[in-house]
Amino acid sequence: MNYLIQLTATGIAIGAIYGLIAMAFALVYKSTGLINFAQGEVAMMVAYLTWAFAGQFGSGLIGVAVFTIVAGMVLGLVIERLLIRPMMGEPIFSIVLVTIGLAVILRSLVLLIWDASPHPMGIEAASELIRIGNLNMRAGQVFVIGLMGALLVASWAFFRYSRYGIAMRAVADDDRTALLMGVNTARVQAVAWAASSTIAGMAGVCFAALYDISPDIYSIGLKAFPAAILGGLDAVLGSAFGGIIVGLIENMTGGYMSSTIKEISGFVLIVGVLMIRPSGLFGQREIERV
Amino acid sequence: MRSGNFKQNVGELIALTDSKSVATWSCLLMVALIGAPMVLDAHLLGLVTVILFTLVGALGLNILMGYTGLVSLGHVGFLVLGAYGYAVTVGIHGLHPLLGFLMAGIVPAIAGVIVGAPSLRLKGIYLAITTMAFAFIINTAILEADFITNGSSGIFLPRPTMFGISFKSDAAFYWLCLFFAVAALAVTLNIRRSRIGRAFMAIRDNDIAAQSMGINLIAYKLLAFVMSAFMTGIAGALFGVYLSFVTVEGFTFHLTIEALAILVVGGLGSALGVVLGTILIVLLPEITGVLLSLTGDAAQEVMATKAFEVRNILYGVIIIGFLRFDPTGLVGIWKDVQRTWVNWPLKY
Repeated sequence: MNYLIQLTATGIAIGAIYGLIAMAFALVYKSTGLINFAQGEVAMMVAYLTWAFAGQFGSGLIGVAVFTIVAGMVLGLVIERLLIRPMMGEPIFSIVLVTIGLAVILRSLVLLIWDASPHPMGIEAASELIRIGNLNMRAGQVFVIGLMGALLVASWAFFRYSRYGIAMRAVADDDRTALLMGVNTARVQAVAWAASSTIAGMAGVCFAALYDISPDIYSIGLKAFPAAILGGLDAVLGSAFGGIIVGLIENMTGGYMSSTIKEISGFVLIVGVLMIRPSGLFGQREIERV
Repeated sequence: MRSGNFKQNVGELIALTDSKSVATWSCLLMVALIGAPMVLDAHLLGLVTVILFTLVGALGLNILMGYTGLVSLGHVGFLVLGAYGYAVTVGIHGLHPLLGFLMAGIVPAIAGVIVGAPSLRLKGIYLAITTMAFAFIINTAILEADFITNGSSGIFLPRPTMFGISFKSDAAFYWLCLFFAVAALAVTLNIRRSRIGRAFMAIRDNDIAAQSMGINLIAYKLLAFVMSAFMTGIAGALFGVYLSFVTVEGFTFHLTIEALAILVVGGLGSALGVVLGTILIVLLPEITGVLLSLTGDAAQEVMATKAFEVRNILYGVIIIGFLRFDPTGLVGIWKDVQRTWVNWPLKY
């Protein structure tokens, strides 16, 4: 029983990281209709930049947090400006291919600049043990669950109350009409990219702080695909929920079955979900007009 | 007097080429390719061999993505299944290599039906993700089924001997690859001008319209997956024989990206484009090596230690560059050059 509770708790923690990345997927998908295949790589890049920053200027928590947010935003804006905006009006498939190209570049850049071996992130506070009842959790795990909760509330409020959030929903609904109503769609997309890269970057840094930094971190992007699809690609809050479920399923299969099955449990889940309900649990059904 | 180049019957309209010079040049190229092993040294011959079997796989992907417009990010799955289809038949059970090549096509084709099934409901990005998921699932399935596949320890593959001919020498293996590449090219070119190819392209352009014209979407989408998987599987078998050792690690997800790069760089949906794209992408490491050798020592040192990363970055840059600046790919550039050459000095 205790084992089950332990698995559940760590599953929720890793699920929260997937959930954050899935939120990042959903933000971009909602405002531009494309999937950023480089999301995991963006998370990795931000994590590496933060690691380099922490190595240079010390790993004070506030400094690291501020740097992560800034690095994520800048990276997102640069990608949007250099690669995505010039492709506006091209078929979605071409833009998706551009993000695949970007993924390859970022992955190799990390290997080119740094090396392939794992390093500790150097944030000791993350691995302090916290006991809740019989449960052993690391501070970083508790933090990331809290972070996801906070971001969930923040993004709900953002979409509900802020001008940009409402504009983003308008663009997602119908970008041409939104443009005619005076919404600056290009800027809305830039904000979406910045926000998505920041959230992905936070997830990357949290993951690196918990499990060391290595060039394999990009695979959390692959793991978050199932989460985003399960929740519904256009549902930001739903994706976060999907992340928790994928994290739990992964941890359960890993704990009770085998580690190879753990690796693909998410992918098996996507295939199932897509066959039965392609729009995910919370997504809007896409209706195509002939 | 003829005032233009008119097609007078269907046969002329769907002929592979109406130009004598294209036919002549193709024959000359064929002769040159057959004679190549007499002239080329081992290194160059190896490169051309790689180009040939890569071409088989890229043409396979082209049937699916270029003709039918179904995006697959899971073709490395078919590649690895093809390699294992051959390796299990020939390497473990010692059966006839011809049967091995047949299995290398049939096993992925069966998987193609399974992977293709979701394509009947899914489109675009969703399909891409599903196929990618299948590629990972296939890898794990091969590792888990170690009673059939030797699991993670891999299978050694000697070069085959068929019909009393040994393919041990590099030249003989080159001819084998040339045979498969020419066959694949012939299939691709001929599909395009048949009922099946026209149905594929109709599905690509608008599947709902295609359906209302009486095209059976289920049958043709599955057929596209099966044909594509079959050809990719053959390429996988050739790749396995070339490496002489088959493991799951030999077929990384990176190969899918390489295949995508070939299609994008060459120009989607054109057989000539696939050929040009394959040549460029396979030769890319060589080209960059030559370019970097012109620069200083520092660059060469980077190339020596981090060659793989530099090459990957170049793949990425080339994919993005072509998509951004010339979506028609090399085949588009080739057509532009041809037009300029014919019309020069006039603009058109």
